[in-house]
Parts: sequence; structure tokens; C-alpha cells
Amino acid sequence: MSESPEVLKPLKTWSHLAKNRRRPSEYEITSVRLHTSMNNPDKPWEMDTNLHMNQWYLKYRNHSPLRLEDWDTYRDPDAIVYRTYNIMQDGQETYVKSLLDQFNEREHDKAIDTEWVGKLAILYTPARYVFHALQMSSAYLAQIAPASTITNCSTFQGADSHRWLTHTAYRTYELSLTHPDAGFGQNERKHWEEDEAWQGFRELTEKAMIAWDWGESFCAINLVLKPAVEAAILHQLGEAGRHSSDTLLGMLCDNQCRDSERHMRWSKALVELALENSENKAVLTDWMDKWMPLGINAVEKYCAALPDSAEAISNAKAALEKSRENLGV
Amino acid sequence: MAMIERTEWYDLLRATNWTPKYVTEDELFPEEMSGHRGIPIEDWETYDEPYKVTYPEYVEIQREKDAGAYSVKAALARDKFLERADPGWISILQAHYGALALAEYGAIVGEARMARFSKAPGNRNMATFGMMDETRHAQLQLFFPHANCKLDRKWDWAHKALHTNEWAALAGRHFFEDIIHSRDAISMGIMLTFAFETGFTNMQFLGLAADAAEAGDHTFSSLISSIQTDESRHAQQGGPMVKLLVEKGMKADAQRLIDIAFWRSWKLFSVLTGPMMDYYTPMEHRSQSFKEFMQEWIVGQFERSILDMGLDKPWYWDQFLRDLDETHHGMHLGVWYWRPTVWWNPRAGVNPDEREWLEEKYPGWNDTFGKCWDVIIDNLVNDRVEQTLPETLPLVCNMSNIPIVGTPADGWNVKDYPLKYKDRLYHFGSEPDRWCFEQEPERYADHLSFVDRFLAGMMEPMDLSGALKYMSLAPGEIGEDAYGLAWADIYKEMAHKKAG
Repeated sequence: MSESPEVLKPLKTWSHLAKNRRRPSEYEITSVRLHTSMNNPDKPWEMDTNLHMNQWYLKYRNHSPLRLEDWDTYRDPDAIVYRTYNIMQDGQETYVKSLLDQFNEREHDKAIDTEWVGKLAILYTPARYVFHALQMSSAYLAQIAPASTITNCSTFQGADSHRWLTHTAYRTYELSLTHPDAGFGQNERKHWEEDEAWQGFRELTEKAMIAWDWGESFCAINLVLKPAVEAAILHQLGEAGRHSSDTLLGMLCDNQCRDSERHMRWSKALVELALENSENKAVLTDWMDKWMPLGINAVEKYCAALPDSAEAISNAKAALEKSRENLGV
Repeated sequence: MAMIERTEWYDLLRATNWTPKYVTEDELFPEEMSGHRGIPIEDWETYDEPYKVTYPEYVEIQREKDAGAYSVKAALARDKFLERADPGWISILQAHYGALALAEYGAIVGEARMARFSKAPGNRNMATFGMMDETRHAQLQLFFPHANCKLDRKWDWAHKALHTNEWAALAGRHFFEDIIHSRDAISMGIMLTFAFETGFTNMQFLGLAADAAEAGDHTFSSLISSIQTDESRHAQQGGPMVKLLVEKGMKADAQRLIDIAFWRSWKLFSVLTGPMMDYYTPMEHRSQSFKEFMQEWIVGQFERSILDMGLDKPWYWDQFLRDLDETHHGMHLGVWYWRPTVWWNPRAGVNPDEREWLEEKYPGWNDTFGKCWDVIIDNLVNDRVEQTLPETLPLVCNMSNIPIVGTPADGWNVKDYPLKYKDRLYHFGSEPDRWCFEQEPERYADHLSFVDRFLAGMMEPMDLSGALKYMSLAPGEIGEDAYGLAWADIYKEMAHKKAG
């Protein structure tokens, strides 16, 4: 030890952040460079190299065609940490609870007409399947992402997707109390599996869920499936609700859109970072070309079942295409 | 507000499995990721999570918990506890954060594996909250120590440790990556949540919290006991998995996973928590001995929980009970002697009154481990400090990746448990360590222990300085005796008196 006389001095922050001139934020202190499995490029886990899980991570993460020298430079534009997530979403849940409570008090469900009740049973309450699929897919991205800052965004996105599932489950049960014969809480799986309106989403969802490459998974889920859900369900279904005196649905969807817009902000930031390597443009564009037709098909089929379907279809398609345009890939 | 009771609509949150049409069920849930073991999906749907929480409840409760933990930190920031804390206590904090902050972060991967690949919808939901919990634990255990970076470079290791090839960090990664990251959702659920979190996190987060409160470190005490409230919730995910496997005639499979994970957890705790509780914590602040904590949290509670599940005690249970008296003393001796190779300052903890305490808690200590300390003390009394420092490396176990230890002197039982597999000779610290390897040799085969790497020439130069460089340990970071060896003065005085 006498060979290295220099004794390291204490720093003001983690050594990996010390070169930055700005004082680190709580977000940077608690979120950056937390995955240790990226340190050895040939062996993600301290196990035999040929172990299935090592090979899975090598193939689908380390050797993804989407490449960047250092994914740990990614930052969530909203800089959310666990603590602020709960503060933010507890506030949103307080709002949602008050919505549910007030509309319940005004006997909202009794006031909606039978035709719309039928639409809700087919087009709204089965959405719990696609919301749950988003929850599952976000969990996949969280475990396969090459940077902790990407994992964190995916983790919060998974929790948000569960949030949407929770609102939907609650409303499903509540609607069943006023409309016991409409199949609420009974027929959602059947509609999801058999109704033409859902088959586009179902195809996209199932196929996107097995896109194992982390980059392609991100592309299929965050850049296609999620914008399609936002365009067709959160916007067009919500809008149709407003036109059928279901103000509550519109307001619930709007609230979920806050999450969805945040997800798009982090996704766009990740695309922008990826494009710092010019070779990634073609990779992302190829994936978008592959997945967008499934997204368009999903919104077309779904919106075709909405009242004023022609307008809904063109609005949803335009929103989905605009979303891609904004990404520049 | 007139909200509908959770029990009325909770099941709808779990009615989320469907029959895929555009891909197959096996494609959606590949066995190697899912670990469904061919049990039909309808059976997985009977999984009933013992602890239920909904999203609005979760964000409210967790917001309140965080408000509590962060406000204790803020309120006590001006108290400057660390400036008057015993150096041994500071070592506990540095070792704890370095070993655990990023390990907790890594557990997100395990929770996420269940959230995506478990065929049980209730499990997927709870694991989604589990991912959130582990994010919390990583962020809290990074944010709290970060405030101390300015005091000493060792605090940097709260973030840095698991990124390095420091031997204890390597052992920690090998353990966690064996039971969490490299397993299918169900194996991982059983190994991490049932075998590890149910018992061992109680040790680290409640046992140590009790000592922290005694030591006056209320910030750390409230932090880790708050973390444990999450652990005790998400630890319950594994139970129903075990139950289903037992029902389906797969008891041996569940038992094997638990036996591996339990043994490996024990070995990690013997090097991490054992020395903290019995040597680093100042004696007057020790609420119980490590063995007593183990008996309460592990032997008592865990034993009950495995028997309740219809499983048996691990086959090595008697040896485990015997080792409670021994292993961690050997680990401590090794860590203190090899102190330049750790990122904290080991506290010897062998003053005359401490030895009396050790002898009382572990009868025979003076005739065994005490005799090694006698030699060390003799060297210190006679100013031969260099003889209390290492020049070589210890023999390391190819399973636990920690030194092979045993009881020295009168109770001598130090032994290597070798195994030849495909022309390579592996070394293990015990029969159960070797047994873990034999369960699935290909899982571990090409892994190199710290010593294997040294012998393979991966450290230059091939001496302690090369090893330190490989471990990213530089002066200012490398461990020293917590008191700068001043604790030996009392023995010098005693020797003086005797001579005079």
C-alpha cells in the first residue's frame, strides 16, 4: 500500500457523479447507474456463462441492435423518484376517489342510457386485459432495460398501468350494481377474446408481449401499443362517453391520460438519446414499420365499434401517426 | 366518502388471464422465465396472496411511510450523530449500505420477473408493488448515506460496492444473482421471498434496528424498520407458490429451492450480520447476540413457517444449529485480519470485557477463537503490527464465495470440501455448500471465485496490491482497524503490569 501514497479525499457526492459541475439532485443520487449486470459485457450474472438467463440477457439486451455506448446517461425528463411518485399519485387518487364518490352520490349510473351501458360492457370494462398487459409488459422492460433510469420509468409505468386496471375493476363492479344484467364483471374475458372490436388490440398486445429484444419491446409497447391505447381508449372512448352523458368516464380517462402523457415524455426522451447513435435510426424505423400497421389495425377495429365511428377512426389514426411523427422514427 | 369496499371488487383485479390466440401460451410464458412447471394456468389462478393491497391504498400508505422516514432524517440531520458515534457503528452503516443498497435495487428484477412471467394474476399484481417497494429500498438506502459522502470516502461505497470486484461484493452478487436474477419467476419467488425475505430480512432490518435504537442512531433505526414493513408484506408472495407445488406433488422441488436459498442466505449473514451484531456494535448497545437473534427470527419463526407449508426442515438443520455458535466468529476473524480488503473499518471487539461477553454467549469462545485473538493481541502488544496483516489470500468457497472457515484451536474443525467436476477441482466451505453446487453444476461451472481469478492471473501484480487494485480499493477506501488499534492498549498495560 505504500506504493500508492495518494489517499482518496472525501467527495461531495458519489464518485460517479463527482465530475458533474452541478450539485446532484435527489433524482440523480438515487436513480443513476444502479444496474451492476452491465459491467461485464460478456456475463450479465455471476453464474455460468451458458446459463439460460445469462444467454437471455446477452441476446436480448447486450446484443440488441439498438446500441449506445452508455445507456446510463438516460434521464427521465420528469425526474420522478419513488417518494415523489407516491406524493403525486396519492394526490391523483384522492381526486379520482372524489370523482367516483360525487358521481355515485348523483346516481350517475342510473342516468346513463341502455345503449351506452351495452357499449361500456363491450368497449370499456374489458380494457382491464389490455391495461394488465401493459402492466406486465412494463415489468418486462423494467427487468431487461440496460439502465436503471430506464428501469425506474418502466417500474412507475407498470404501477400506473395497474392504476388504470384498478379504476376499471372498480367501475366494473359499480356498474354491475346498477346494471346487473349487462354482464359487468362476467363477460369481459369473452369480449376481449371474441369481440371484433378488441381483436386488433389483442393481436398487437400478444405479439408485442413476446418481442423479447429490449429495444423492440420498448418500441412495440411504448411507441405503438401505448399510443394506440391512448388514442383509441383514453381519448376516443372517453370522448364517446361525454357524448353519451357519461361524463365520469371522460374524466377518468382524462386523468389516466396524465400518466400516459408522462409515459410518452420519457419514451420520447429515450428515443432522442438512442438517436445520438445515428445507426439506431434505421433500427427504430424498421421496428416502427413492423409494429405500426398492427397499431393502426388495433385502433381501426376498436374505434369502428364506437358511436360516430368514422370520426373516431380518423381521429385515433391521426393521433397515432402524429405520435410517430413526433418521435422522428 | 362512500367508496365500495375493496373485498367486493378485488377479484376483478385478478381476473386478468386470457387465452392467447395470436401467440401460444408457451410463447407468452416461456417455462425458463415463468417456471410454471406444467401446472395448468387455471391452477395458478387459485393463487391467493395472503396480503392484499390496492393501488390507492398503496400510494397513500407508502407516501405516509416515506414522510415518516424522511422527516426523522431531516429532524436529526443537525444532531450530528455520526460525529459522536462509535467507529464500530459507522462501520456497520458503511458495510450495510454497500452490501444492500444496490442489492435491493437488483431485487426489482426479481419482482419484475414475477410481475411479467408468473401465471398467477394475484402474484403479478403484488409483484408490481414489490417492484415499487424495492425501488423505495434502493432509493432510501442511497439517499441517506449520500449525505455522509463528504465525511469519508468509504461512504462512496454505498453506491460503488456492488459495481466492484471486491470479494464481499462479489460474494453478494453471486448469492443474489443465484436466487433472484438468474431464476424463473416461481423459483425466484420461493427462494427470494419465502426463504430469504421471510426470515433473514427480519434479522437485518429488525434485529439491527433494535441495536441501532440502543446505539442512539434513530435515523437508521427508523429507516430500516420502515423498510421491513414492506419486506414483511411482499415476502408473503412465495408461500402460496410453495403450497401449490406441494399440492401438485412437487414438494421435493420446493424443498430443494428453499434448502439452497436458506443455506446461501445463512452464509451471507454469517459474514455480514454476525460480525456487526457480536463485534462491531458496542457491547452496551447489543440488545441480543447474533445467535439469539438467529434463534428468535430464524430457528423459531422460519422453522414454523416451513413446517406449516408441509415441508421439512432442511437436511442440514442440525449442522446449521451447530454453526450458529461458530461460523460468524471465523468470518469475523478473517474479515478483521484481511481488513485492507473491505470498504469499512472492522472493529475487533475483543477487549477483556467483550471477551467475557463472548464467552458467556458462546461458551468455549476463549479456548477456540480466543486463542487466535491471543496471538493477534500478542503481536500488537509487541508492536508487530505487520504480523496482523495479510500477505496472501484465504481459501475461498466456490459456492458462498467467502473464506472457508472453521473453529480453530481446541475445537479444530477447519476443512475443505472439494469436488471434481469436469476436470476442474472446486473447493467448498461445507457439505451444504458443496451440495448446493451438486444440485445444478452447470449453473455455476465456469464461475471463478476471487482466488480462482487471482490464480488465473487476472490481478496484476500478483500480490495484495494487485488484488486491491482489482477490487477498486485505494487508500482512503481500504479498511483499517476501526480504532487504529488503540483497543490493544489495554493489553499493553496489562502486559506492562505483569512484567513490572
